[in-house]
Amino acid sequence: MTTVVYQIEGGDFEHGGEASRRLKEQLKRLGADPAVVRRAMIAAYEAEMNVVIHAERGELRASLQNGQLDIEVSDTGPGIPDIAAALREGFSTASARARELGFGAGMGLPNIRRNSDEFAIESTVGQGTRVRFSIRLRPQTLYGTGRHGLTIEADHCRRALRCVHACPTHAVRVLGRRPEILDYLCIDCTACIAVCPTGTLTTRGTRATLPVGEEAVVVVPAALLVQFGSGIAPAQVRAALAALLGGGAAADARVWVLEAWEAALRAGVRRYAETAAALPVISPACPAVVNLIETRYPALIPHVAPLAPAVDAVRAALAGQRAVFVVTCPSQRTALLGDAAAGPPPVDVLLPAAVQAALAPHLHADSGQLAVSATAPPPPDADLLRVTGLPHVLHLFDEIEGRRVRDVRVVEPWACAEGCFGSPLLREEPCLARHRWETAPLPADGAARAVPRGRPLAPRPGLRLDTDMGKAIQKLARIDTLRRELPGADCGECGAPTCAALAEDIVLGRAAAGACVRQRSQEKAP
Amino acid sequence: MTLAELAARIGARVYTPGGGAAVDVGRVWAGDRISDLLNEAVDNVLLVSNLASTHLIRVAELMDVPGICLVAGREPDADMLSAARAHGTLLMSSPYGLFETCGRLYQCLSAEAPTVR
Repeated sequence: MTTVVYQIEGGDFEHGGEASRRLKEQLKRLGADPAVVRRAMIAAYEAEMNVVIHAERGELRASLQNGQLDIEVSDTGPGIPDIAAALREGFSTASARARELGFGAGMGLPNIRRNSDEFAIESTVGQGTRVRFSIRLRPQTLYGTGRHGLTIEADHCRRALRCVHACPTHAVRVLGRRPEILDYLCIDCTACIAVCPTGTLTTRGTRATLPVGEEAVVVVPAALLVQFGSGIAPAQVRAALAALLGGGAAADARVWVLEAWEAALRAGVRRYAETAAALPVISPACPAVVNLIETRYPALIPHVAPLAPAVDAVRAALAGQRAVFVVTCPSQRTALLGDAAAGPPPVDVLLPAAVQAALAPHLHADSGQLAVSATAPPPPDADLLRVTGLPHVLHLFDEIEGRRVRDVRVVEPWACAEGCFGSPLLREEPCLARHRWETAPLPADGAARAVPRGRPLAPRPGLRLDTDMGKAIQKLARIDTLRRELPGADCGECGAPTCAALAEDIVLGRAAAGACVRQRSQEKAP
Repeated sequence: MTLAELAARIGARVYTPGGGAAVDVGRVWAGDRISDLLNEAVDNVLLVSNLASTHLIRVAELMDVPGICLVAGREPDADMLSAARAHGTLLMSSPYGLFETCGRLYQCLSAEAPTVR
């Protein structure tokens, strides 16, 4: 059990509320439920101000144990002659000075009682008063509810440790021989896949081949249609794919290009931005970026347009047809497969490499010239800021959060460079791939539309050190101590991205106490 | 309607823009008793009060209140200003009294109400 104690000076209106403020900081660090923090703050502040208004001095003592926050505010002072009267709303003996400041409404004790689950008061005239109250906590689950679409091929790992540093949310550890993903932090982007030199970190399809001869829609990203070299236009790739699936008008109608739904989403986001309150509006085009916002930028949630990513819109349009999605990242995979409750239609995911291998024999660079579109290129998206690649997305979100972006109406952020064209599951240079698509795009599909988001966005619960808040406090203290002992170089050699992360890993039992490589080498030195 | 827009519409002077300028105001609560304000303080409320003291900022700090509006042209003193700045509370002062300020705020927010998003 851990207790925090804060002193309160009677008559010191200037610093009144300071103890409550410090208690709030503690509770927030421990990840207490906001509703609990709110009740605790009303009760604690009222009790603290009672000491300031009436007593000589006192203290606020708070402890967390067994899922309960216990607060005791005791003082040396005049005491309360008639406790029953003091508990009545509107009864007050506060000074004129206190009343001038808005206190002394006779609501303090009733307010404390209303906002606590247990309440007791005892007082001795001429000595002092002690108010005790408890608020039951509702701690969230220990590790949140994160899920991701990454696969770890542990046998391939050579501890290059690039993933540890590349992860934008510090979700990767290589504390043993193999990488581990901390589910509650992973945003399902491709940062670790992109840097892994051995293919340890990757994602998997639910099938390995195209549905040749099957009654299934094949959904392909535009990026897949520009992977076959400089002489081959997207239309040719699409035709080759349709031919492979069986040929004819039926097969042709079964090839859907995701870009059309992305364009529909873009139009929907623009429409929403015309009346949106929080600007700039952020497009939910990239599921990994939406995860990033829920995890690291909860303040930006009101900026996200209430629409679903393109894969969700395609799923809705399938209307019962079976479909195979060629996905370019784990977040698309999760968006398609993660929601088990959604039920049919049965959806499969396939990795681009399988499609490329199947199509390559049918597409030859010398089979034709690149058919540059005869129509004029579409007008540039002057009202839309497309930001691609996580370093830029993170930087821009910092700017938006700091309210320094006032000249942009719509932001379309993508985790990968050049959006899905930069997926590490594809080979072609991202800028070149996008250019090829933009100079010879396929005509838009009239059926494509944007759909509303099914699930409201919410800040993702972070790490809970312990479901028992008392133990959580102890762990927090140990993490603080340990962090000060570590060198602070954030070298990552131990397999954790920072010394602070290692301190947390050690206290939570994920890493051994002597995991720091630098500490070990210093101990060996004479 | 955002706090910044509301301030402009009712002709209030904004002393510290804080981090709350873009917060969409869900409700307004006016009062001169700290206990009442404390009970009504939520993260999208604009508190309106005659009390020009640092305790108002303290309430905002403890309860995550984005904005505070003083009335009758009351000017915040240096302590209140620095507290509001330190905590990032949007602090404004309306030239009108409590009654008229509330009337104007009500007009702004109820005119907006039919376009529920």
